[in-house]
Amino acid sequence: MSDDYKFDTLSLHAGHVPDAQHGSRAVPIHQTTSYVFRDSEHAAALYNMELGGHLYTRISNPTVAVLEQRVAALDGGVAATATASGMAALATAVMTICSSGDHIVASSRMYGANINLLENTLPRFGITTTFVAPDDLAAIEAAIQPNTKIIFGEVIGNPGLDVMDVAAVAQIGKRAHVPLMLDCTFNTPWLLKPITLGANIIIHSLTKWMGGHGIAIGGAVVDGGNFDWGKDDRFPTIAGPHYAMNEINFFEEFGPAAFTAKFRAEGMYNFGPSMSPTNAFHILQGLETLPLRMQKHMDNTAAMLEFLSGHDAVAWVKHPTLPDHPSHALVKTMLPKGAGSIIVFGLKGGRDAGKAFIEAVELSSHLANVGDAKTLVIHPASTTHSHISAEAMVEGGLSDDMIRLSVGLEDIADITADFEIGFRAAARVAAKAAE
Amino acid sequence: MKHKLHGETIHIATGGLDFDAAKPVIIFIHGSGQSHLTWVLQTRYFAHRGFAVLAPDFPGHGLSEGKPLTSIEAMADWIDGLLDSLGASTATLVGHSQGVLVALEAARRHPQRVAALGLIAGAMAIPVNDALIEMSQSAPAKAFRMMTSWGHGPGAHKFDNTQPGHAFLGYGRRVMAQNDDAALHADLVACDRYDAGAGAAASVTQPTLCLIAAKDKMTPAKFGQKMAASIQGAELRMFDRAGHFLPAEYPIEVNDALAAFLAR
Repeated sequence: MSDDYKFDTLSLHAGHVPDAQHGSRAVPIHQTTSYVFRDSEHAAALYNMELGGHLYTRISNPTVAVLEQRVAALDGGVAATATASGMAALATAVMTICSSGDHIVASSRMYGANINLLENTLPRFGITTTFVAPDDLAAIEAAIQPNTKIIFGEVIGNPGLDVMDVAAVAQIGKRAHVPLMLDCTFNTPWLLKPITLGANIIIHSLTKWMGGHGIAIGGAVVDGGNFDWGKDDRFPTIAGPHYAMNEINFFEEFGPAAFTAKFRAEGMYNFGPSMSPTNAFHILQGLETLPLRMQKHMDNTAAMLEFLSGHDAVAWVKHPTLPDHPSHALVKTMLPKGAGSIIVFGLKGGRDAGKAFIEAVELSSHLANVGDAKTLVIHPASTTHSHISAEAMVEGGLSDDMIRLSVGLEDIADITADFEIGFRAAARVAAKAAE
Repeated sequence: MKHKLHGETIHIATGGLDFDAAKPVIIFIHGSGQSHLTWVLQTRYFAHRGFAVLAPDFPGHGLSEGKPLTSIEAMADWIDGLLDSLGASTATLVGHSQGVLVALEAARRHPQRVAALGLIAGAMAIPVNDALIEMSQSAPAKAFRMMTSWGHGPGAHKFDNTQPGHAFLGYGRRVMAQNDDAALHADLVACDRYDAGAGAAASVTQPTLCLIAAKDKMTPAKFGQKMAASIQGAELRMFDRAGHFLPAEYPIEVNDALAAFLAR
């Protein structure tokens, strides 16, 4: 092989070569907690980070490692670490970089749990956040303080669908010597590899489109290897002496993979946010078809946008590819294959009509997930974002009547027919309210 | 560790332990456009097994200051000067790729300094394609990409890795991008111009181990075999599935082979 394998090939193969002993073509599930060492020297070498390998599944596992290497390959990173969930990935990534007294600049328009972690939980540990609109570049730059250690946002915001100009924000981070960490759950590397635009750390909820089947919770952190942790003394826990292994300096020892080395040596050891081998296996099955599924997601999303935009029952529709979306021009260049398969819309009749719609549909599922192969609907104000403040709701661009649609892979005629059932129920509620 | 040599501050990986010249010294010599990070899975391993390990970044490479050296002869003298400055009278020289040329030349110029040689994925001459030399100057990122692709074997291209979660190709490109802008070009020109390798190999009298990769597209295995045949008493070990970046692709096997060789 003299050139890199392409995306579709990596989705199937990256991270796995059939083992010499058994030749298993599929990735085996290594459902084990521990691994027999060759000898005491080998054991010591693994514990001291002298060699790669597995010593305990809380730290790493062969099946999970295949998934990690596949995600790293798809995103173009230098390494990846899988975690029990996307939130575990984010929390552990923040803890890998930040200490008490540090500061984060973050998008104000994100998934409710992301906001909650930064706004309510991390301040108890001395890590504070300034929230700014993800499309206000001047505000992002102005919010950076001497103790700022991360700029954090979502490429496509959940559920408001605000789009961050990754290259522009990465430049701000580069000037200030602050890494750009992005939640890329909604875009997946099939739509965009933000590392190519200068982003430094990628967070995924693998539960969503990457797995696609809705059967396994998981997350991943991808290390872009493109941040200079040793440029100054801003990141002493990565580019300074560690508390263990004879004060190992991750930056000097592992170079571009310093963040990952610290993440595994401290984050996986001390917090233990490990993914189960069986979940890794399930998510790998999903990743094999990521390119096929994403294309169908984009096709069905385009059809649903046309359907919703022209429907009398619909008050408004929002998606980054629509001409009236503020990020429309950016999306055309940054996300040419599509801007995800989440659509948000409101019905004539407001919140009550929306409630009637969600309860009436028969094919679409009313649940908390997104990115499933099946079409999903939910009312964010009463569910996924119900724990954030009214002010944050407004700042996040969330309205009380918003319905979030995760467009699935069913035949488009069946999805639109199902929506007609919901619209009729919504219309009855709206008419009753108008009486 | 940081060290001053010829007025420049250089970086040397010592495997996480302080350098102690009283121990047997191994100096790991990186290849074109590389750095101490070639030896991530060797430095800590041998440092914690009784050796005084040095994996320096040549000037303009990795974390070392200075301008890149422009000839294999200058690099060989630099290695000799480094050992001298650290009070190491002799050392085992382990080179990778261009580092093999440096090790051979150092053995020719400073034979009293060399206890043994470990020559990994190397040859007695490394002629470089003119187009690649030009690309290393005009479009270095493209050259990094090409060399990293060519430099890794079939397993690495499928992201098979002994380090959980790690990706050879992305990592290799970032390592090369950390160097001084002129580093790769200077290295490739130095390799291309060096024509004393056969004479140097013929003059080697020290114990020598050659580790050769069968899938090596940068320094094809047949040239490594020829090198081994030209060195008196040299041992040869072939790695059937490995590419050019053998120390990272097959670290356990490389370390086992080196450890057994050094124990003799």
